[in-house]
Amino acid sequence: MTAQQQFDETRVGDVITGRSFTVTRETIQAFADASLDYNPLHFDDKYMENTFGKTTFDGVIMHGMQNFPLISRTLTDWLIPRGGFHRRLETRWLKPVKLGHTITPVATFSAKRQTDKGFWVLFDISVTNQDGDLVATGNAMAEFLDVIPGTAAA
Amino acid sequence: MTVLDLDDFETDFWKDVEKRKTWDEIIPGELRDTTPVTLTKEVIARFAAGVGEDNPIYFDEDYAKTTPYGGIIAPPSIHILLMFACTTTEDWMRSPGTINAGQNWSYHFPIRPGDTITMRGTALDRFIRKDRLFAVHENTFTNQHGQIVCTGRGQTIRPQ
Repeated sequence: MTAQQQFDETRVGDVITGRSFTVTRETIQAFADASLDYNPLHFDDKYMENTFGKTTFDGVIMHGMQNFPLISRTLTDWLIPRGGFHRRLETRWLKPVKLGHTITPVATFSAKRQTDKGFWVLFDISVTNQDGDLVATGNAMAEFLDVIPGTAAA
Repeated sequence: MTVLDLDDFETDFWKDVEKRKTWDEIIPGELRDTTPVTLTKEVIARFAAGVGEDNPIYFDEDYAKTTPYGGIIAPPSIHILLMFACTTTEDWMRSPGTINAGQNWSYHFPIRPGDTITMRGTALDRFIRKDRLFAVHENTFTNQHGQIVCTGRGQTIRPQ
């Protein structure tokens, strides 16, 4: 299908529910080994007994940026097979995610817009934990394309 | 230019801690010290596996060739790795207790194996809110063709 056809099939209000993710010391280690973010916030139980400004944490926390690929994956699982290009992701982390917590990203189509040269869709993003608490919010933007940027010259 | 080796990285974030800029010393507009890195297929595959990005377009060349991307690409969020890979042990983003408050990223071109990526990083702003010390940073990543592959901005709460 063309970018125009994919765009036309998109419906505002539709919801993409991402795969759930449970945080363990192993997932934290794997994220650190991949991202090279070895901040003691994610590893050092003794260090986490400290007070951070007025904030205290009950033990180590997941990297906030772990939310990012989980949200991206939710979007690209849907977008890539449809010729959609993940263009933008804006997030705020609202709540720390702790060991044993399970988080689930959800992307809701919030708007679509055809411009002079593009077919754009917008998403509202939320990530909730096992108790239904919001741990992250945000929004994202994708573009349906007939040619992926950088491939025409290849 | 350095071929990025994930196994050759200082994982002790306390090392050089006294050399890193504190909130008071971060000057908006001042460039962070960065070095370009070249990404291999192996690094892209390990990044993808480590962060949970399991689409075979990130590690299976035969499959990736059948897609409109024409070959393996890196997951969009690889800027997370690039930020640490391109900066030094003295970079303030490594300071223990740095808490990420949220990020905005725009993606312009896919990053591919063999790409050499250059980072330009600055602080844009500092502020105090609810007794916390915030820094706003902005990073731009450019490939060997001079294409800006992704740009991002984020906020961190600085350790006190």
